[in-house]
Amino acid sequence: MKLLARYNRINLVVTVIILFITGGVYYGAISYILNNQVDKEISIEEQEVISYLSKYGKLPPEVDYKDQKVSYYNTAYPQKRRFTDTTFYNKKEGEYEAGRALVTSANVNGVNHKIVIAESKVETEDLIRLIFYITIALILFLLLILFITNRFILNRIWQPFYHILQQLKTFRLTDQNEITGSVTKIDEFTELNDAVTAMASRVKNDYRDLKTFTENASHELLTPIAVINSKLDSLIQAGDYDEPQSKLLTDVYDAVSRLTRLNQSLLLLVKIENRLVTDEQDVDLKLLIEEKLVQFKELFNDKDIKITTALQDKQINVSKYLIDILLNNLLSNAIRHNHTGGVIDIVLTNHHLAIKNTGADTALVPADIYKRFNKAKNSEGTGLGLTLSKQICDNYKFSLEYGYTQSYHSFTISFVN
Amino acid sequence: MKILIIEDEQGLCESIVGYFSEDGNICEYANSYSAAMAKVSLYNYDCILLDISLPDGNGLDILKYLKQQDNQAGILIISAKNSLDDKLTGLDIGADDYLVKPFHLSELKARVMAIIRRKSFNGSNIMVFNEITIDMMAKEVKVNNNSLKFTRKEYMLLMYFLANKGKVVSKNAIAEHLWGDGIDIADNFDFIYSHIKNVRKKLEEAGCKDYIKATYGMGYKLTDQ
Repeated sequence: MKLLARYNRINLVVTVIILFITGGVYYGAISYILNNQVDKEISIEEQEVISYLSKYGKLPPEVDYKDQKVSYYNTAYPQKRRFTDTTFYNKKEGEYEAGRALVTSANVNGVNHKIVIAESKVETEDLIRLIFYITIALILFLLLILFITNRFILNRIWQPFYHILQQLKTFRLTDQNEITGSVTKIDEFTELNDAVTAMASRVKNDYRDLKTFTENASHELLTPIAVINSKLDSLIQAGDYDEPQSKLLTDVYDAVSRLTRLNQSLLLLVKIENRLVTDEQDVDLKLLIEEKLVQFKELFNDKDIKITTALQDKQINVSKYLIDILLNNLLSNAIRHNHTGGVIDIVLTNHHLAIKNTGADTALVPADIYKRFNKAKNSEGTGLGLTLSKQICDNYKFSLEYGYTQSYHSFTISFVN
Repeated sequence: MKILIIEDEQGLCESIVGYFSEDGNICEYANSYSAAMAKVSLYNYDCILLDISLPDGNGLDILKYLKQQDNQAGILIISAKNSLDDKLTGLDIGADDYLVKPFHLSELKARVMAIIRRKSFNGSNIMVFNEITIDMMAKEVKVNNNSLKFTRKEYMLLMYFLANKGKVVSKNAIAEHLWGDGIDIADNFDFIYSHIKNVRKKLEEAGCKDYIKATYGMGYKLTDQ
């Protein structure tokens, strides 16, 4: 639930409850005051009756006005003086109205008389009804105002918040553009903007430092690796080695070769992330794949891998260098993780390129495959191949999906997103 | 042939000098920008190996100077800067080739030989090694005047061996030369073995002596001794 909706709901419920309570209190207070008023009028009438009685020694004649009525009844006992609510018959209107009555008694010549002085409360009721209508109108008006305020004004006030939220959602460490807060007069949002902007640039700076470090470290490593490599090349010229010595040298060679590739992959990753590879050109993907298949022919033959292809013409605007690496990685994987006598199936359409290969009988974990240095137990690869591939695809907004069906592992690049 | 190596890393420099000298080449080296400028302004070389990042200057400036002087030396840039921009700049200014560190000495040798061949014979030439004759224009291999059917890779392989004759060439270097360094297949070099076997078989069937010798799984060596 949105903060705004939640706030609105609480606000509305509370407002309505308070309005009803105040309406009730209002009603009670006004009724009380008006009843008192009527009671006072009745009391004055009573005084008149009593003073008449004491003056003339008899009760005044019964009266029956439009809104007031004095009547007497014989009674055996004196009545306790009390005010009661009653109904008042309005003869003129011919209807019963709410009324107020004072019941008291007087002893006239030893005979007890009950005196009932009643007065119509119709005007009072009208007044209360009017107050009630005004209150209801007020409630409706308030609700309307609240609704409008919430709907339009609050929405506008919260706009900077949604703006910054949108930016946070799309925030990527590797993006070049910074987070920008929108201008607002509200202190909280200004603070939020400042905090988020500062945080984003701090995080980016740290990340940049880290990347620079990776780049520099990889770069500095190149020279010693180059020296080791050249010394090894010189060493094997030096003489006749026996088999164990040759084995040792071969192992060192392989290790250095892996180190080299690892290092180059790291450098390349940083470079792609920094968008430093910008030699985009139109590449005929079909032609390139066919070239790759020729290049890898001996590797396929070595493992007796059967290649099936269904290639349509497809031009893409990418860096030849990167697409080359991408294809190298995917094809290398398809060979390395294949079994002898396996199959590699390559399909290129206008929308996607799918490379399927036979291999292990269990699917890979899709969440892990693009992580750096995540690799199969027996793999001699760098563990960066798929990370690089993913990075290259991301760079061109292609999607790279892994799938596993019927013992075929597949990697599919979709060109449209 | 006379080669100048401009490289500030002493260890690498020595290895290159050692590898190239054994062939009877004359190798000189310079460890800094100033030493390099002094040498190139005084002497002529067939080939110059140029490192771009030098402690006291940029190798590209040396390249510019050489081109201004209309120096005929073949120039091969060796650099740790694996950047396309650098590569393009270098080639634009007039370098003949570009090799990224780390590299195999055999690869360096093959590149240098290719540059020198291009420079001295304007690209059309015949190379002879005992009974093997190679027409590098037509990329044709002949043994005792019989033409051999070599695939592109087999041809590349033979040229690689010839450029490094008398040297042990490691399997890693061969794999990188023929299949590119991007292929990331280090766990299995068996395919190289069968590939080389094919080349040897084709040469032998044409009546050629077997010059290519395996050295205990480490690599191979082409030699007539």
